[in-house]
Amino acid sequence: MAELTLQGIAKRYRKKAVLADVSHSFAPGLTLLVGPSGAGKSTLLRLIATAEKPSAGTIFWDGNALPGARGKLRRTLGYAPQAVDLPEDLTAREFAMHIAALKGLALGAADKQFAAITDAIGLHADINNRISTFSGGMRRRLIFAQALLGDPQLLALDEPTAELDGATARKLSALILERAKAAIVIMTTHLADELAPSATVLRVEGGSVT
Amino acid sequence: MSAAILRSSLGTSLARYSRSWGLWVLLLIAPVAARYWIGTEQDTSAVIAVQNMAPVMTSAVLGVTLGVVVSTLLLPIAFLYLRSNATRLQPWQVEEVTTGSRIAVALGRFGADVAVLAGVLAAMTLAGWLIAWLVLPAGQVDIGLIALTLWLIAGPALMGVAAVRILFDSLGFTRGPLGEVFFYILWMASIVAPIASGTKGDGFAYNLTDYPGFVQPLTHTLPDGDTSLSIGSAEVGSKKIALDVMAGINSPGYIASRLAWAGIALLIALLAGRVYAPHKPRVRRIRWKWLRRLLSPGAPRAANPDAPPARGSWLPAVGVLVSEMRLIGQGRLWLLLAAAAAASGLFADFRTVTSPAALLLLAFGLSAHAARCERTKLLALTGTAPFAPMLRRVAFVVAGTAWTLLIGAPAIVKAGLAGNMVPLELSLATGAAASLIAIVLATVARSPFAPRLVLLILWYGYLSSA
Repeated sequence: MAELTLQGIAKRYRKKAVLADVSHSFAPGLTLLVGPSGAGKSTLLRLIATAEKPSAGTIFWDGNALPGARGKLRRTLGYAPQAVDLPEDLTAREFAMHIAALKGLALGAADKQFAAITDAIGLHADINNRISTFSGGMRRRLIFAQALLGDPQLLALDEPTAELDGATARKLSALILERAKAAIVIMTTHLADELAPSATVLRVEGGSVT
Repeated sequence: MSAAILRSSLGTSLARYSRSWGLWVLLLIAPVAARYWIGTEQDTSAVIAVQNMAPVMTSAVLGVTLGVVVSTLLLPIAFLYLRSNATRLQPWQVEEVTTGSRIAVALGRFGADVAVLAGVLAAMTLAGWLIAWLVLPAGQVDIGLIALTLWLIAGPALMGVAAVRILFDSLGFTRGPLGEVFFYILWMASIVAPIASGTKGDGFAYNLTDYPGFVQPLTHTLPDGDTSLSIGSAEVGSKKIALDVMAGINSPGYIASRLAWAGIALLIALLAGRVYAPHKPRVRRIRWKWLRRLLSPGAPRAANPDAPPARGSWLPAVGVLVSEMRLIGQGRLWLLLAAAAAASGLFADFRTVTSPAALLLLAFGLSAHAARCERTKLLALTGTAPFAPMLRRVAFVVAGTAWTLLIGAPAIVKAGLAGNMVPLELSLATGAAASLIAIVLATVARSPFAPRLVLLILWYGYLSSA
């Protein structure tokens, strides 16, 4: 069973300390990172997703310390950042297959899986359309869908339900809860109410996690 | 209100330029290039050759020579910089719904662009003074003449580039690849036309046809009918020719024509604000149903909700390569044109038709894909994938080379059967070089403009050297 451990993690940008001495262990299930804007939720998620390196401390994946185990973690990671410079001139499907290739997935199977994921979140009819024609909510769902490709054991989702209407947000939440049965799902959110009963809630504030 | 908008547009653009590291590269490029282009007395090639002879170097000739370096080297680089620098992305979503004057915004941006290019010219002037101490006999260095000739020649030309960039950014159809193509044609025509005309003349109207501004100073004192002029890197003998470039500069209509070009640049910037076209989502409208069906991927196939999660590929590197090839050759139109170029290899000459056609297509495919993958916030995502961005870049070069081989395949096979391996070697070399140039420039500039224009310039060199 996958396990992610943060040990004494700190992150500084020049002289500004964003996170200080964060330690926590994550097991399969849903963990919500909540807290005010600028508290460091997205920074913590970027560190977990190996998009950035901590200034101090160690991250362990399945008992192995990063950066040594970074490759192992990345092979089983699904990451949905808050904002992505989506390639406007590609179709959603072309973009997703590009990400699938970079994840080292079999492209035929990834294509079918992408169709299934987008079908579940109401995006399938538009996957052959250019991203330039997408609304904010559609872009958000596309970023979410690419994170689910493959069989990620660690899902790092940064505000996946922002900009979505209630019904679509519930569809995403259902998928997230389904994934959280077998994988570690860490998600930042401002509004924890709906998923909170099924999740571990961590509050990020003042550089620490409680 | 318009004056306030102009000031704000100018100030914001200058502030953004001041944070651009590319500006420092630009400030260095021209002086460094000038130093290497302007060789010693013993060199067998020269920036300027008049009647196949290098001119005797004087302060005024040095200023003109630096002006030629600007026309041949700095103009396209300046356009690249202005198109792909920190001010490329404008907050048009907010600006376009305000009542603010677009003319004021355009003039403010034009002012900032001109200020930046004036800085580059100032750096070039300083370099010219330094070079003068190295190449001119003691006592013959006139820093005023060097500055005067350089600024008279290069100033209006650089202002023109700034104006064209503002105009191209104002019109929907020139915001994309067509803008680079049009600039490339304009630049080539502006240099070649006055040299190729081969006629001497005087007066304002004649001088106005000399946009780069160096032809009149170089040819004014030459006898009629013997005004052969080469610029760039021309072969010359040991014999020198004495030129009185100041006679050309002081000839009737020359200075007025340079001022007129500066005025025209300002008018173009005004026009850019006047004809500004708001951004629109790109929706392709194809009139013919059959063509629409051919070019569109159509509706997606029905999804299987029970599709299992995709497993890891047995050959993940092949997957990345295939993905890179698909995205370089993105769109059915590109594929149709590639098929046409490939078919030409069966009946047309490879070096003059098939290979240039393949490289022209790739100039657009490579620059578009290289740039789209180098956007900062996409790299933040793809940087967490097992295939890190650097590995993807390697795959990009291999995929670009594979495309040249694929398009050239009919010609390569045909020639190979006759024992001729040149098409294969050419495809490999040009494909790898073009892909490498595209990915390096896109990684540095994070936009498709730089790779596209450089590839177009190199493509023209390749085509015309056949």
